Amino acid sequence: MISVKKNNIEGWLFVSPLFIWISLIILVPIYIAFELSLFNVKIIGTSGKFVGIDNYVKLFGKSKFLNASLNSFYWIIGNAICQTFFAFTIALTINYKFPGKKIMANWIILSFIIPTVVVVVIWKLMLSSSSGVINSVLIDIGLLDEATGFFSSPNKAFISLVLINSWRWSPFLALIILSGLNSINREMYDASKVDGANFVQQFLFITFPNLKSVLFVLGLVGTLLSFNIFDIIWLITKGGPSSATTTLPLLIYETAFTKFRISQAATLSIVTSFLLLLFSIIFIKTMAPKEDD
Amino acid sequence: MIKENNIKLIFLSLSLLLIILIFFFPFFWIITSSFKSPEEIIATSTTIIPRSFTLDHYNKILFNSDFFIYLKNSLIVSFSSMIISIILSVSAAYGLHKLKFYGNKFVEYSLLVTYAFPGVILLVPIYLLFAKVNLLNSYFALIVVNVLFATPFAVWMLKAFFKLIPNEIEEAAYIDGASRYIVISKIIVPLAAPGIASVSIFCFIISWTEYLFASILISGDDLKTLPVGLAGIVGQYQIDWGFLLSGAVLASLPVIALFVFIGKYFVSGLTEGAIK
Repeated sequence: MISVKKNNIEGWLFVSPLFIWISLIILVPIYIAFELSLFNVKIIGTSGKFVGIDNYVKLFGKSKFLNASLNSFYWIIGNAICQTFFAFTIALTINYKFPGKKIMANWIILSFIIPTVVVVVIWKLMLSSSSGVINSVLIDIGLLDEATGFFSSPNKAFISLVLINSWRWSPFLALIILSGLNSINREMYDASKVDGANFVQQFLFITFPNLKSVLFVLGLVGTLLSFNIFDIIWLITKGGPSSATTTLPLLIYETAFTKFRISQAATLSIVTSFLLLLFSIIFIKTMAPKEDD
Repeated sequence: MIKENNIKLIFLSLSLLLIILIFFFPFFWIITSSFKSPEEIIATSTTIIPRSFTLDHYNKILFNSDFFIYLKNSLIVSFSSMIISIILSVSAAYGLHKLKFYGNKFVEYSLLVTYAFPGVILLVPIYLLFAKVNLLNSYFALIVVNVLFATPFAVWMLKAFFKLIPNEIEEAAYIDGASRYIVISKIIVPLAAPGIASVSIFCFIISWTEYLFASILISGDDLKTLPVGLAGIVGQYQIDWGFLLSGAVLASLPVIALFVFIGKYFVSGLTEGAIK
């Protein structure tokens, strides 16, 4: 008789189409990249000389690589802080009852469902230094004396990009946090109220611990997704001014498609993949919640 | 007690105001701006209520540009990616969360770890791979990549819905002599329908918004997708804002329309599948 539990061959059978699809599209390219990283190919399609681990040795001495790694690090931290703040604010707000709650819960995700290019258009217009609405509002309320270029100085450009990217992702993350909030037993809150807990204590001792498995996935996937962001940065600042917003993905793109150093780009890709894989394994080993089923 | 409720009310109103300003106002702004005269869009003094109204920008983009070609391409790529993603991820989620085979934790985590690779890291090697097998400049190239981006998270989203379906229902069907195929098509899929609906939207959005790979893997003008077409205008030295804004609004309309009809499944799918 067929049963629901423990079924090795059938289990693998159901999983294998996706598993094979994903493995092929990841492993074959990684292999190609690894092979390329041992040669000195420049323009796509041409052949190069075998150079062994030369590309790797050179990479670690390059200031561009170190600069981009640091930028990526700040990018991940900045996005994590901003998105956690926005996502929790949205999730905790929508979790309350108020008129219009349903509409807001359904449409808050608007910034996530539109193409990234549209996100870029919106913020390029709103933050424009000559005619942007943000500038004129900030001047009207007295926070600024004259219009500022939000992408003109290294720090301002970096912070603006972090905020724009967080604007895109936070509502989506908020809904996932909301799913975790919904799975918490209401009675726990009632019981804690009887014991005299206020809402800060409730958040710290009931809400937060119960969100562990949701936060685990968000911590892992969110970090990797943030790291991989390319289009928002590329379409707004192209990595500038003076490489201040060049993260590792932008450096790879630049090396491959504007400087035509394919082998160097492949080397960068391999090193970056290795770092991300290492991060994922450590994160899963240390943070994975115990399954209760 | 009353004091605490007042604090809560103040917090709630403040954060509501903040959320509306930050997350909704920008949409009001670009939609109204797309109907403004070119002079008003770039005017240094901005007014919240528009002073001019024109349909010129929409006229230009609809009847004097490649908009419909890009729209067709985006629709073909997104729908195909969505359908393939759904079939693959429903099958995988069933195997992972209903059959509990040896190694299922490994597969589950491997799927999440695939997020370590996509993005620009795979761009160069995938470009070379597709060049080798002659797949550059084809819908198929984009579909392959979009499925890769959408499915890992889709499987994770489906997990919650499959877990909500009690095993007893399935067991009972098997005792009555039903085959695995009957059980999946007549019990699992219908019961997980809201979940499958929300995952479909997710997959569609991922493909609809994808820019990077579409810009590199496709070079022919007749195969470009909407984001790539729009980005072409963004990159111009002298941006025609009216043209760009109306394009941005039109490129967002299809996903918004989809969302009007099945958006509530997406949101409830994300929020009500009790993820434990």
